[in-house]
Amino acid sequence: MITMDFAYYRPKSIAEAVNTFQDLTLQNKKALYYGGGTEIISMARMNKLQFAAVIDIKEIPECNVMQINNQKLTIGAAVTLTKICETNLFPLLSRAAKATADHTSRDKITVGGNICGLIPYREVVLPFLLCNSQVILAGKEGQRTVPITQIFDKTLKREKSEFIVQILTDRTFIDLPFEFVKKTKMEEIDYPLVTLALIKLGDEIRAAVSGLCSFPFRSSRLENEINQISVPLQTRIDNIMSNLPGPILNNLQGSAEYRDFVFRNTLLDALAKVGGAS
Amino acid sequence: MTAEEMTIIGKSVNRKDAPEKVRGAAKYTTDYIAPDLLHAKLVTSTYAHAKIKSINTNEAQKVPGVQAIVTAEYCPGIVGVILEDQPMLAKDKVRYHGEPIAVVVANSEYEAKKAAELIQVEYEPLPVVNSPGEAIKPNAPLIHENHGDYRRLKHVFPEPGTNISNHVKIRKGDIGKAWAQCDVIVEDSFSIPQSDHAALEPRNSRCEIKPDGRVIIYTSSQSPFIVRKLISRYFNLDEGKVIVNTPLVGGAFGGKAAVHLEFLVYMASYAVGGRMVKLVNTREEDLIGSPCKIGLEAKVKLGSTKDGIIKAAEITYLVDGGAYSNMGVAITKSIATDCTGPYKIENVFCDAICVYTNHPFTTSFRGFGHMEYTFAIERTIDMLARKLKHDPLELRIKNAIAPGDTSPSLVGLTPSNIGNLKECLNQIKKLINWDGGRKVDMGNGKIRTKGISCFWKTPSTPTDAVSGAVITFNPDGSINLNIGPVELGVGSKTVLAQILAERLKWDINKIHVTMEVNTELNPVHWKTVASMTIYMVGRAVLEAAEDLISQLKSIGSIVLRCSPTDLDVADGKVFLKEDPNQHLDVTEVVYGYKYDNGNSIGGQIMGRGTFIMKHLTTLDHDGGKGVPGPGWTLGAQAVEVEFDAKYCTYNILKAVTVLDAGKVLNPKTAEGVVKGGMSMGLSFATREYFDFDIQGKVLNHNLRTYKIMRFGENPQYIVNFIETPQIDAPYGARAFGEHGIIGMPAALGNSLAAASDTDLNKLPLSPETIWKTRKEAAQ
Repeated sequence: MITMDFAYYRPKSIAEAVNTFQDLTLQNKKALYYGGGTEIISMARMNKLQFAAVIDIKEIPECNVMQINNQKLTIGAAVTLTKICETNLFPLLSRAAKATADHTSRDKITVGGNICGLIPYREVVLPFLLCNSQVILAGKEGQRTVPITQIFDKTLKREKSEFIVQILTDRTFIDLPFEFVKKTKMEEIDYPLVTLALIKLGDEIRAAVSGLCSFPFRSSRLENEINQISVPLQTRIDNIMSNLPGPILNNLQGSAEYRDFVFRNTLLDALAKVGGAS
Repeated sequence: MTAEEMTIIGKSVNRKDAPEKVRGAAKYTTDYIAPDLLHAKLVTSTYAHAKIKSINTNEAQKVPGVQAIVTAEYCPGIVGVILEDQPMLAKDKVRYHGEPIAVVVANSEYEAKKAAELIQVEYEPLPVVNSPGEAIKPNAPLIHENHGDYRRLKHVFPEPGTNISNHVKIRKGDIGKAWAQCDVIVEDSFSIPQSDHAALEPRNSRCEIKPDGRVIIYTSSQSPFIVRKLISRYFNLDEGKVIVNTPLVGGAFGGKAAVHLEFLVYMASYAVGGRMVKLVNTREEDLIGSPCKIGLEAKVKLGSTKDGIIKAAEITYLVDGGAYSNMGVAITKSIATDCTGPYKIENVFCDAICVYTNHPFTTSFRGFGHMEYTFAIERTIDMLARKLKHDPLELRIKNAIAPGDTSPSLVGLTPSNIGNLKECLNQIKKLINWDGGRKVDMGNGKIRTKGISCFWKTPSTPTDAVSGAVITFNPDGSINLNIGPVELGVGSKTVLAQILAERLKWDINKIHVTMEVNTELNPVHWKTVASMTIYMVGRAVLEAAEDLISQLKSIGSIVLRCSPTDLDVADGKVFLKEDPNQHLDVTEVVYGYKYDNGNSIGGQIMGRGTFIMKHLTTLDHDGGKGVPGPGWTLGAQAVEVEFDAKYCTYNILKAVTVLDAGKVLNPKTAEGVVKGGMSMGLSFATREYFDFDIQGKVLNHNLRTYKIMRFGENPQYIVNFIETPQIDAPYGARAFGEHGIIGMPAALGNSLAAASDTDLNKLPLSPETIWKTRKEAAQ
């Protein structure tokens, strides 16, 4: 039960959503864009999140698109992870979606909500980072389309009034060979110790990671190391581990020391599979 | 009666509670909604050990809809079941994270929660006792400064000036001389964490006080009759005026045996002039605020001859009873009486000590401490086997307890009270394809191993625990079986109906069992715990059946003009043995027999049966001699794993239990109960534990981080029963409601220790723990 009082809005258009946000801001009310609500509800119930209003974007038509058109896959921010898995237009994304939470939660969790959430893992962002997807954001200044790699740095750097409308992914990327590995403390349905997503473009391997640090990331440094095929694998991995973008996460799911161990082996195995070992 | 003649015993009769449960129509305590119902919400401690400097309720009082706020100053005193040591609401200080401090009563749950959030408690942190080992250190902070003054309600031995709430000693044989006979000695330490029952239905209660003074309580409980007793005792009420109702319960596992929320909801109702108040734990509150499962630290030393005959056991069990003793002190005794596991060991020296810590307080949990100590014992047996270079299964067979031996508390064992462990081991050897416990390298970095564990348990009931049964008839000749145990979801009421159907040779569909419990109407049943329902209530049901038969024969003898001994009863008829055609239909006599001219005789036929435990004794404090329970149930369990040697991850492939059930009354429910126990044991062994920070706060009291094995993660379960009858039990059936859990962590631990070549002495057995232990051992 949530004891905090808040207003609930369900706009039918992008403009209405943005205007609502603006109105609330002018009244000094903190508003949150709302997708599946799994995180907002559970945090609000525990009094770990304060807000005056939520703006539910699930009835905005553009946010519910899931289709391939003109060689682009368009995914609306309000598409649920269950739908991602069921339609399976983007196999790597399906894997990342299916690795998130349990089925009941995936019926609610949306693509946009997962990417913009507060939880450290947000594994759904990994495939988009690897595919240089484009994010369409709507805000008080109108809409803009930005490469996700440009605006995702630990979190999605958006203006306060902005929300994700859609994510566009070039069709050529979605069928690339990939590897997706999620390692957990004990059971399949849990937060990750580490999640590693790899795709292969010709000889180039791209990698994105969740669970290792307190945020998901794709780093050019890591990819440079991975792709230096001439360097012994063990050396490359040592180099990667000493140049991580942040400290290794240490929490209930696993100690930093154990995550280090698991990630090294996961990377080793994954690279062997996609042909990046030597 | 021979097995062939039994008509309903041994059949998988469908559970009588099944139709409404599978259709979602079953009603549980908290399903009650009414317009005038008030709602209570707890304020709980955010510290594990702290002085309460002040409680400010000013802001909370202002919340619209708030009716009352109850704090310790309105509480009558401290409560307990064995040792009185627990304030109903924390008074002056808090002793565990999650301890209730105040109760807010409001018109709605929303308003109650809102007000509860506004209550400001000012704490002054105190040093924390964060493990049993810390609790017994000479200068450990005292959690109960004056516990020598606490009233002792039963046989319990707290040690004033320490954190020890009970100390039970087992002294069997001569341990000093025994070591000299031992060629091989193994010794190690073990640690098993606290965790929770995590039943699907969180604990909840509601209460109203009627204008005539009757207190009506509805509660999700295993012990409605104990609720009546304690509410009456601590609020100075006539027992007959306290009426406790328990409908179906959505999982209990021992966690609903304690009386806890009932005190709080009574005070809440009292504070609002007796209006009905409902108090429901959130999952977070339920995990730590209400009583949890004990933790255990153990030191085990075993000695054997070079031939593998175990001669000596020296054991220390430190039970983490948490902040209040509740049932922790009784679990300690139960651990002591069965301390060696089911092995013939002539010399035993065991100290079982229950200590206070600043952890959640503890009550019974499936197995009553046996799962925990069995992990320590059975791991040590495997270490002994390794040192002796013996097959661990053969070593167990060699030392298996048997009739003619004595238990640690010197009870003489017979086929009836102990059963046949060797046969269980022989069977499990085949079912798990033991093959000497050989390690199989699968060639892909995966290793397959098997681990084995024995288990035993006798119930630890009061020596005067009672039960009863009343049978009445409906005009159509169908029967109402009125009994007092709670249906916890294991189908025991159905099995009790089977027992009655068998004895009366009656159609099971014409036997209606009271599903809900009402202390005003049902005959008393001590508590629905200790796997004792079938044994205790079953005996009362059989006695009631005899009573009923004799009444039917008595009136039948008048109408049919013969001696009662000429008659038999079956299928709703009283008939002449030599000529069943000469009969009376029971419908003609159940409310009296009426002659053609209107004259009537007899009257309503009602059967009554009672049961009380016999020959049980308390334990002698110096040496631990005594009779803890009416009999043991034992068996063997095995687990097969596939271990990934690189990551230290593993899959549990198969889990097997062979249990001496005495007599299987309902095969499907029996199998279900044992499998449920196995699943719970594996869940606990692999992932369930409380993670405490250095301040003693629980870090994982929600189901995102407190993990429970999900459906689909289970291995293949195989359950087999052997049947050595327990003569004094209904149709020979032994108690085994809890037992499926007991050996699971040990069997898993033994298989993983073999796979990883590592001594795994801590639970849970997470891959990280195995990795870390293996790494430390290598250094």
